Amino acid sequence: MRGITLNYFLRRLGIFFLTIWIAGTIIWLIPHLAPGDPISAMVARLASRSGFVENSAEIIEGWKERFGLNDPLPVQYVRYLGNLVHLDFGYSMANFPAPVSQLIGQALPWTVGLLLLATTITFLLGNFLGAIMVWRRTPRLIKYIIPLGMIFTSLPSILAALFLAYVFAFLLNWFPLIGSYDMGMKPGFNGPFILSVIQHGTLPALSIIIVSFGYWTLGMRGMMITVEGEDYMSLARAKGLGPFYMLYRYMIRNAILPQITAFAITLGTLISGQVLVEYAFSYQGMGTVIYNAILNQDYPVIEGTSFMLILITALAVLVIDLIYPLIDPRISYGAK
Amino acid sequence: MKSRFKRLGLGIMLTLMALPLAVQVVSAQSADVAREDTVIFDIDATSIASPTNFNDLVPGTNKNQGAHQSMWEPLFILNYGTGQIEPYLGTAFTPNDAQDVWTLKLHDGIKWSDGVAFTADDVVFTIQLLLDDKTKTLNDAANMQNWVKSVTKIDDLTVQFDLNKPNPRFQLDYFSVRIWGSVTIKPKHVWEGQDPTTFTFYDEAKGWPIGTGPYKLTSASPEQFVWDEDPNWWGAATGFHALPEPKRLIWIVAGSETNKALLMSNHQLDSAMNITLGTLQAVQAKNPNAVAWVKDAPYSFADPCPRELEFQTEMAPFSDPNLRKAVSLIIDRTQNIAIAYQGTTTPSTTMFVSYAGMNPFINAITDAGLANDVVAHVEDGQKLIEAAGYAKNGSGIYEKDGATLDLAIMVGNDTQEYILSTNELVEQLQQAGVNASSQPVNGATSQNANQTGNFQAQWAWNTCGSVSEPWNSMNQLNVSYYKPAGEIATANTERWNTDGAKAYSAIVDKMGSLPLGDPAIPAMVAEAYKYIAAETPIIPLVQAEKIVPFDTTYWTNWPTSDNAYIVPTTWWQNTFFILFNLKKATPA
Amino acid sequence: MATAQTTENGPASAAVHTAKQMGRFNRWDTPWLNTKLLLGIGIIASILLFGILGNLFWDTKLALTGKSPLNLPPVGITTTLGGTLTGTWAHPLGTESSGRDMLALIIVGAPNSFLIGIIAATVGMGLGIFLGFTSGFVGGRTDDIIRLLSDVAITIPALLVLIVIQSLLRQVEIATIALLISLFAWPTPTRLIRAQVLTMRESGYVQLAKLSGASTFSIMFREIMPNLIPYLFASFIGNATGAILAAVGLETLGLGPQRIPTLGGTIYFSIQGAALLRNMWWWWGIPTLLLAVMFVGLLLINLGFDEIANPRLRQSSQ
Repeated sequence: MRGITLNYFLRRLGIFFLTIWIAGTIIWLIPHLAPGDPISAMVARLASRSGFVENSAEIIEGWKERFGLNDPLPVQYVRYLGNLVHLDFGYSMANFPAPVSQLIGQALPWTVGLLLLATTITFLLGNFLGAIMVWRRTPRLIKYIIPLGMIFTSLPSILAALFLAYVFAFLLNWFPLIGSYDMGMKPGFNGPFILSVIQHGTLPALSIIIVSFGYWTLGMRGMMITVEGEDYMSLARAKGLGPFYMLYRYMIRNAILPQITAFAITLGTLISGQVLVEYAFSYQGMGTVIYNAILNQDYPVIEGTSFMLILITALAVLVIDLIYPLIDPRISYGAK
Repeated sequence: MKSRFKRLGLGIMLTLMALPLAVQVVSAQSADVAREDTVIFDIDATSIASPTNFNDLVPGTNKNQGAHQSMWEPLFILNYGTGQIEPYLGTAFTPNDAQDVWTLKLHDGIKWSDGVAFTADDVVFTIQLLLDDKTKTLNDAANMQNWVKSVTKIDDLTVQFDLNKPNPRFQLDYFSVRIWGSVTIKPKHVWEGQDPTTFTFYDEAKGWPIGTGPYKLTSASPEQFVWDEDPNWWGAATGFHALPEPKRLIWIVAGSETNKALLMSNHQLDSAMNITLGTLQAVQAKNPNAVAWVKDAPYSFADPCPRELEFQTEMAPFSDPNLRKAVSLIIDRTQNIAIAYQGTTTPSTTMFVSYAGMNPFINAITDAGLANDVVAHVEDGQKLIEAAGYAKNGSGIYEKDGATLDLAIMVGNDTQEYILSTNELVEQLQQAGVNASSQPVNGATSQNANQTGNFQAQWAWNTCGSVSEPWNSMNQLNVSYYKPAGEIATANTERWNTDGAKAYSAIVDKMGSLPLGDPAIPAMVAEAYKYIAAETPIIPLVQAEKIVPFDTTYWTNWPTSDNAYIVPTTWWQNTFFILFNLKKATPA
Repeated sequence: MATAQTTENGPASAAVHTAKQMGRFNRWDTPWLNTKLLLGIGIIASILLFGILGNLFWDTKLALTGKSPLNLPPVGITTTLGGTLTGTWAHPLGTESSGRDMLALIIVGAPNSFLIGIIAATVGMGLGIFLGFTSGFVGGRTDDIIRLLSDVAITIPALLVLIVIQSLLRQVEIATIALLISLFAWPTPTRLIRAQVLTMRESGYVQLAKLSGASTFSIMFREIMPNLIPYLFASFIGNATGAILAAVGLETLGLGPQRIPTLGGTIYFSIQGAALLRNMWWWWGIPTLLLAVMFVGLLLINLGFDEIANPRLRQSSQ
């Protein structure tokens, strides 16, 4: 346990809880700052369909009373803190009487299954390419091809998604256009359904990969250059160590650390941030749930989903901080 | 150490891949239905967040995912083409002379899909449920409590409604699918004893939800709903109508306009909601079987909510009626249509939708010389602005006492049509010297701003409602709805409360108690419209175009202007009539 | 000074290296003529110049709704979808579906989009560098507070804040959107830089500098910062591109400026207008191409700068 003292550990844990509390308060406060309320949003959706909602003032008042939105803000805040402790956010206001847990439970597996997988591939691919861009033994041709491939990074994700859909789903008919499984298919744990899920997931995954691997490549390349210049590299070369051994043990191992930190930090964003790709493929993920909840000012769903993201990110950052001194012995905490 | 990490990573990846499958309830594979027996529709939403909620008494619940198009039948269906109310579950709904006692006759032999008979008890139960909701939080509860004193069963097929006050539009407004939907009747044997605010009306084991319609729910997910035909449908058994030809209906969340177009080009979508002209042309280039409501320009069907520019009439400087009138004169509706709509709609000359049934009222206004022109009279408008004390500054914008004449136009940001039309108006007004700007906001923001009066002007359709009589639209500007800015107003969010508005409202109130079709009404419309023309709380812009394409590859006899048996709105409760008429395409 | 000279074999060799670096410093006059760097700068400059000159030679009012004919293809192209249309020199790059001239759109839009990227990345990286260094080097209570702030900012979903601010403001300008994006661009660099500083704080040459009585400020900016330059620059390029694309994303969700053209706004309208399907490639293609060119320019600057900073790279790729 070199580097970590009990004092550091406790202080870090304190920051973790403080982070959760402050962030939790902010995500509660911000939606309440926006003009309007979830019930007005609901009435707006009704009105956009049927032209006019008679007696909307009474409907709004009735539901506000029922959801406790007429209580003073401090009362609502204390109630919310209670929800945080129990991790139960009650019912969605926009989709009453569906519980928040049902909305998350419906979308999260798709997001975790597809988007996180795509992101992991992106991370591995991006870092690998970044590493071999700097490695001395990499063939010249590859060193030129990688930057060319990185031009995809400049594509907006929705355009990439539409383009892939147009070419591979529409013109070539290799993959389905939209959705997460075939039309008319009944979900179940069976071969055809699994195959269908994989087919439907390929293009969304691909669009995420091609537009985002370049960021990891760039970052990794920068770190590799820094490592390349280190004295232990010269020493290793002088020792006559094998190039592959050096690439892995000396260069990647050292350069990857900040990239892992970056990965942990962006975990939350990954889950919520693919709303445009989901939209392009009409895919039923968390991005859409969060986006719609924000638009509808669905407080409980915003709170539930955002708090989940906060927990995930804060935990990831906590873990990184705690294991960093272990994987990188050069760091020591609390030694001052 | 290294290989342990690798194995761990692989394990995590496999688990992740399997996750979506694990949460889905394992259920029997449904029987496969061939594509040529299936109709695929488009849901007007980005996702159905809560697919297993079928309690449509709660305002947030979706019912246009097939529920009120294939399962929950209405009592009557209004036919826009003829202006007639056609029977469905109800055979007749007749008022007494005073228009305050209405008697409903039901069709004989109607059965819920679980075999229980549909009777007057279900109707009474449903209406009573709404009357008993003291919180008025359920859909239509406030409306029913406003009008209905009591509801009584006369016999199994007859229900009597005693109203609090005369209402000549009682059937039209609530039971005839005037716009989008109607009050749907609940099965008493399922709903009795349930809490109507939290009951979801869904239980796979019990076969819920149920309806009286020709289709039953097979599966529901946030992205698609599958409905299969019920061979025991009451309509076929009683001879009301033969079983519709489609064996299966699927409603999918198609998403973006590009998706709709690609799916339709590939014959994977039979009916899409509202696309733009360019997209229609692209679809037709790839799929010659795609048809629109009208074969050529304007291709579109007019939705009953014409677009208008609405002012918060108490907010300076546009609290001055002459400035509002100037804006109306400056706007070139023809140009707005040419650019923002690419010619796919027609200009409005009055606040009304241009349906045949509305012609007597539109004509009365036109004959009285109160209709607005469809082309611009920029100079006349500028004269009005100058008369109000404004002069153009160096950059060509009107200014008074150092303040430019600003007009912020709020508009919903969820549909391209809204934004394009507003942006085009902004350019017209800028050109004429009004410092207009567009403020695209989301639904919650615009609804709140609208209801509390926190906007200068908005591109919207607040006076939507009339389709065969004038009162519904005109009443939206009634001073009885007036609330000071800051308080929530249900209607008259223009906050039009002048003496003119009061005179207008008096006429509208009188008109509202006359029976439908009373010959005195057109003259009263013209009389009342004088005040709108003089004070311009709203500026009629254009009719609401909707290009609603159908694919005739698998199904023919879709509604079109040549074959207008019903409007082509497959997201409305009148879709039943489309289902009855669809014919399987014979392979060429 | 620019190459990393961390050491595990003691202060003595570090001192030797520092001397060597000083020597190399004087020879920096030639490496600046790096082809990649110059090419990258040239590309970015020509985009900006194009914006400036375009304003002089082309009527940018044509970029407003309805000021040009609809759906015209570029010069020399004829389209047949919905009637035959032929491109004219009056609109050399064609027009889109609401009557906006493509040439005028990119003359105004490209510099605007570039500006969003640069403002957001500068503010984000600037804050990140300052806070990251302070946090990593000063440590203690300051470190705790900065880390707390950045952790909080990292965890809050950006969309939530952006949508709420947009509905409060109703109208968004170029600077607003750039600042909104930078609001979420600082925590990640802060975190990463802090982690790097923690690593380097313990290295021999920093310890040596400390022993020899150098000030905290001097150690931070003279000893540690130069080692991080390749990484920082990569982050800056990544952030700038990311910010440009984030703006495109926001515009695609309908949260962008309305009257002022940007590349993202143009792409948004092309998506809404199903340009891909209608074969109106000029509508989505031209702004996308410009985004790609901008990215290549920034990338080349990045690569070139690395070679200047790290001579060994120059050798290996020549």
